[in-house]
Amino acid sequence: MSFLKTIWGVLFRLFPCPTPTGLRKVGDPKRDSPVLVTCNFHVTVNRLRRALEKAHVDAWVVVADSKGVNVWCAAGADEFNTRSVVSAIKTSGVEDLVDHRKIILPPLGAPAIRIDEVRGQTGWSPCWGPVRMGDIPRYLAHGTRRDEEMRRVTYDWRERLDTALGSLFVFYFLGAVGFLLFGRPLLLHYLAVGAATFVLFMLACPWIPGKRGLTKVIFLESLLGCVLIATENSGIAGWSVLRTDLIIAMVMLLLYGSEMGGLTSTLPSDLDPFLARLGIGAVGNVALAGTVRNELLNGYRELTYNRNACNGCRWCYEVCPQGVWEMDQAKRAVLAHRESCTACRACLVQCMTQAIEAPRADNKQRSERPITALS
Amino acid sequence: MFSYVFMKILETRPRSYDRRMDKASRGRVRAIKQAVAAEVSAGMHVLEIGCGTGELAGLLCSRGATVEGFDPSLSMVAMARKRIAAEGVAGRLTVSQMGVEGMDRLPERTYEAVVSTLVFSELTEDERRFALKHALRALRPGGLLVVADECVPRSPGRRFLHALGRAPMVAATYVLSGATTRPIRDLPGELAKAGYEVDKEVRSHGDAFVLLVAHRPAEEVTA
Repeated sequence: MSFLKTIWGVLFRLFPCPTPTGLRKVGDPKRDSPVLVTCNFHVTVNRLRRALEKAHVDAWVVVADSKGVNVWCAAGADEFNTRSVVSAIKTSGVEDLVDHRKIILPPLGAPAIRIDEVRGQTGWSPCWGPVRMGDIPRYLAHGTRRDEEMRRVTYDWRERLDTALGSLFVFYFLGAVGFLLFGRPLLLHYLAVGAATFVLFMLACPWIPGKRGLTKVIFLESLLGCVLIATENSGIAGWSVLRTDLIIAMVMLLLYGSEMGGLTSTLPSDLDPFLARLGIGAVGNVALAGTVRNELLNGYRELTYNRNACNGCRWCYEVCPQGVWEMDQAKRAVLAHRESCTACRACLVQCMTQAIEAPRADNKQRSERPITALS
Repeated sequence: MFSYVFMKILETRPRSYDRRMDKASRGRVRAIKQAVAAEVSAGMHVLEIGCGTGELAGLLCSRGATVEGFDPSLSMVAMARKRIAAEGVAGRLTVSQMGVEGMDRLPERTYEAVVSTLVFSELTEDERRFALKHALRALRPGGLLVVADECVPRSPGRRFLHALGRAPMVAATYVLSGATTRPIRDLPGELAKAGYEVDKEVRSHGDAFVLLVAHRPAEEVTA
């Protein structure tokens, strides 16, 4: 049953796949064993357990409510947040089972988990773990110290394929049902071309020109469109099959690419800010219009940084999955790579001194600030 | 078929929550709250877990009780505060934004009654255990706990029909609000395990709803 649920969770990741919240034992944890927090997405909990078991790490895992969604998406929608983590820590009974009060949080939850509030409300000392759960054994072996690799999202080919499978399969599946019902002669073409398109697209993604998912797709669509026109004018009869495949590939690309940024963790979302611009307030329980994230992406807000207000706590540097922030010699943050920002809001949420803000672009207060103070 | 899972949709619209909830439930939710309020006497100091827009708290105040309510939703608390101002019960009703995870900060042996409607089915098992433990601690010896919530029917046939009838509402609610509720299998058992003595259990709505009245024993019982 768990295996089938995992398959469902992997292939239909756009839908929640919850597992019960509460405390889990991995291996044979003792009173000094590490305590890790994660979301209640079935696949995540299973993968974390496997990663720890594979490295023979004995640990306590506190599964917090994220409505059955993965850490990154649930934090983005404020479903996996300070309250759910505080509630899980307090109600799981873990405090009776360990002698220490150190708890490791998933850093991709930083857009919604205020580390200072977790500390204040629980009395535990939270810290951010590595981005990839495969790095957890190494992180624990190094005294819970994170190196640069553990802080940043890289999104390598395996992760891209995982996304392709998890987030795009549902569209592929629905397309197959559509062809089965209304275009059976083209079903095999669709299955082959559709699968090849989304696998190749995700594998080649970093090398396709364009800084956003949509621009990458526009580039590819233009390229395929030129090939389509060339074959149309070639007069070669046998190429009609190729033209059909090209059209299928172009439609699939448009579908996949229109929100590739939202599916990946290294590119900004395209679809959400577009829908927000259309005035669509929310899709389901995910707010769109008026959110800081979408307003940043739409240019209605701007990320600002006041170096004088920075207390050097490093949280922005620690939680940014893109490495937007660096620390200077005076131990103050520097907004060094603004162009890499995907508006995840993690730095904004963690900044305790309001050195990092996102005022509305038409805000007088912002325009009165000296530009030199804004990194 | 009985289920209040649709309230998760209405919770996203706090301004019209009471009116829509009353309409959608054909007045049954208000009747449930009145039944809970009827268990509380004038002059009691009451804690309400998950006060929402303050409808039950308002009923309790009108019966002469002093109420402290909390709710994790900021918009619900804001609506409750508007109600306080509108009904002129500022001295007898206070609300705060807090989830059940904050109940460990409640003062000991303070309240004569703790009440809750349609909240426990939204909590995880751990959260329910935690809430019951700290409600017991916050109650004075002999103090009342009055809980009304969705539960799983006891007979297999009714359980099947309940699950069948509830499924479309759960699906629609999940699509529209991303949230759901979890009918509780054995709430009287959970209360007993937490150290309460159950005085009254009233089942209704095809055995899918329960009103429980319990009390903290005069002699301390630990869970």
